[in-house]
Amino acid sequence: MPPPTADLTAWTERVRETLDRYAEPLARAVTARLVQPKIGQTVEDLADKAAATQTNAPVIDRRIRELPIGPQTLLRLIGLSRQPHWNVGQLITLSAAAGHADGFAPLQLLLEAGLIFPAHTPTPGPITDFTAWFGGAGMLAANVFVHPAVAARSREIGTGEDRKKSRATAPVAPAGDGLDWPLRLAAVWQRTRQLPVKMTQAKLLFKRDLTRLQADDLLAVPLIDVSEKVVDPGVLAFEWAAAAGLFRPVELEYHADPLLGVWPSNLWALLTHLFAAFFQVETWDPLKGYATSDTGVCPTATAALMLFDNLAQTPGKGKTAAELVAPLWEFHPSFPSALSREVAKTQGEGWVESLLLTIAVPLRVIDVQPGEPRTFRLSDFGRHLFCGEPEPPPPAAFPQTLVVQPNAEVLVYRQGLTPALIAELSRFAAWKQIGPACTLELNAEETYHGLESGMTLAGIKQTLDRHAMRPLPANVADLLRRWADKRERISVYPTATLVEFTTPADLDLALSRGLVAVKLTDLIGLTADGREPDFKALRLIGNREYDAKPVKCLTVANDGLTISVDPVQADLLLEAEIARVAEPLPPTGHGPRQFRLTPQTLRQATEQGQSLEQLDNWFVSRTGFPLTPAGRLFVTGRTSSAPVTEVCRIVRLPSVEIADGIVQWPETSDLILDRLGPMVVMIEEENLNPLREVLAGIGVILEASRAP
Amino acid sequence: MTEDAVLAQELLARKKLAGEIVGRLSDRVLLIRPGRVESVLDELRKMGHTPQVVHRAES
Repeated sequence: MPPPTADLTAWTERVRETLDRYAEPLARAVTARLVQPKIGQTVEDLADKAAATQTNAPVIDRRIRELPIGPQTLLRLIGLSRQPHWNVGQLITLSAAAGHADGFAPLQLLLEAGLIFPAHTPTPGPITDFTAWFGGAGMLAANVFVHPAVAARSREIGTGEDRKKSRATAPVAPAGDGLDWPLRLAAVWQRTRQLPVKMTQAKLLFKRDLTRLQADDLLAVPLIDVSEKVVDPGVLAFEWAAAAGLFRPVELEYHADPLLGVWPSNLWALLTHLFAAFFQVETWDPLKGYATSDTGVCPTATAALMLFDNLAQTPGKGKTAAELVAPLWEFHPSFPSALSREVAKTQGEGWVESLLLTIAVPLRVIDVQPGEPRTFRLSDFGRHLFCGEPEPPPPAAFPQTLVVQPNAEVLVYRQGLTPALIAELSRFAAWKQIGPACTLELNAEETYHGLESGMTLAGIKQTLDRHAMRPLPANVADLLRRWADKRERISVYPTATLVEFTTPADLDLALSRGLVAVKLTDLIGLTADGREPDFKALRLIGNREYDAKPVKCLTVANDGLTISVDPVQADLLLEAEIARVAEPLPPTGHGPRQFRLTPQTLRQATEQGQSLEQLDNWFVSRTGFPLTPAGRLFVTGRTSSAPVTEVCRIVRLPSVEIADGIVQWPETSDLILDRLGPMVVMIEEENLNPLREVLAGIGVILEASRAP
Repeated sequence: MTEDAVLAQELLARKKLAGEIVGRLSDRVLLIRPGRVESVLDELRKMGHTPQVVHRAES
């Protein structure tokens, strides 16, 4: 997105950056046209000075006057358009339409003079030659820009005293308020905010979006300034809004800029901005509507500019469409071929009338004088644009111009509507009707959009109160509050730095000192807008990637229950995960944070749906081992069959060999209930004497147990 | 970050959203997978919610 034309410093920087893309010989040649080079001067120094010269009016004036008439005319036309960005193909057409059909030559002279600059470099290497640059980029992709200060000088020089003196003697009352198109652009901006518009690779509208724009009833309401019908007004409004910077391109989609992009609050500044943007509309024709061209160069912009220039040559005199169309028909290279056979019969008079009536008159650039045939001449604002006359006085202000009705509709009278009010209302209320009186609707979705764009509930109410003829109805105020409150239910931080503290007390301290503003957990906080806190006030011990895979960061003590956290390895989610299976132990000085598995915590985990398998998996991912036996006891103990107590005898044998023999020898094995260990067997009380006798038979004496 | 735990649970019960959530930091705090914020916002809006998007202030 180019900088606003008023920001001359940004444009100077842009010129400077462009000069950096020139190969050194070319950079030296171009800068030498603007500044006197000194011996040993570096190319960077020359580029700095040449860029600064763009705002040096006397030097620029001299350079413009040195130009041949062809490039001078072309530069003047660019200046008159107020559009600093132009496609090279359009400029070649424009130059031919102005009677200088010399192809790229006038542009080349302007490039070499350092008065225009390439806006696009198709190749990564430096620009060595402008013809090669143009050849590489191609007619449709090559774009140039002019520093607005240079454009202003070209306009001033080209305006000439003759134009300044030829004022209209009898001013005509303006046909309208100039808001017909601003209102439609605001409405199409809202439509795009609801649903972004997709473009094809060729930068054309997709069928679905084209149909949506063509069928939009709100955008298709008749203009109030003139009776002429606009063809495909929705498409034009969209293209125009895009050219005016109301949208942000996101890959192949247009998304609404939250603040309507560049939207001057002064009427004349807004109309000038839209006037300039119109020359960037590439696929609209006054008679055909949405018109894509095989050559990619639609004649609308260049033909319109030639018409305005024609009118500016005799600003006080009205001209008919027939008079205006004659030079276009004769010189404009693509105008005749773009006309239908029917329109071509009158050499395009209908085209001229339609363009002037649907664009120039509503934009207050042109006045229409009724009669047969009707005539057109520059309005006071048009003379300001083209003849250097002062800006017309601002329209009368009627601040109280709207009524908020109990059904949440807002009725706005056009007399008090201003560009600033259009922008403000568009952010939080939906346009429902555009006409002599406009209607908007307050609803949850638009209130939400308004708040998301940075407005506050108080700000919305203030806007309505400031411009309302009657107080805001209580039920509407209540609705607005409820819609605003609903937004508080979910907060999304697209980017945020979470800060994890060692203890809850540390987090509380940081909150009290304002280092963080939001407490997410006992240990984790973040700043109000998610940005990094002041790290100077914190001792940082590590960074964590929350999307990294879980790592082993826990160790379990021999008791099978106490878990210690490795603070370096631990990740953000550990806190939430471990809280589901264990409880925190009180901090012990500088030692690691510890948790303990308890019957209650593990029971809670199983009651919340965690199976033993899931617990095992989690333990393996965090400790490297499955759930400890003690932990398993807590999980499975309740569900396994009940243990029983029995009175038995324990026989402790002197060696493993004897124990193995007793367990294997059928005479004794039947008397054994269970083997408890390598040298310990268990028998029933009544089998003690039989076992003693059998063993005595082989010489093994079973002694009586030692008294405890 | 949700107003209450029930709302967080409701969001997690939504299949499309659950797939975009890395984990639950606390009862009310869910972590979104990197690069999936826009699709989460779209889904929340489809559900009729009006999430507040908190952007970092320009410093």
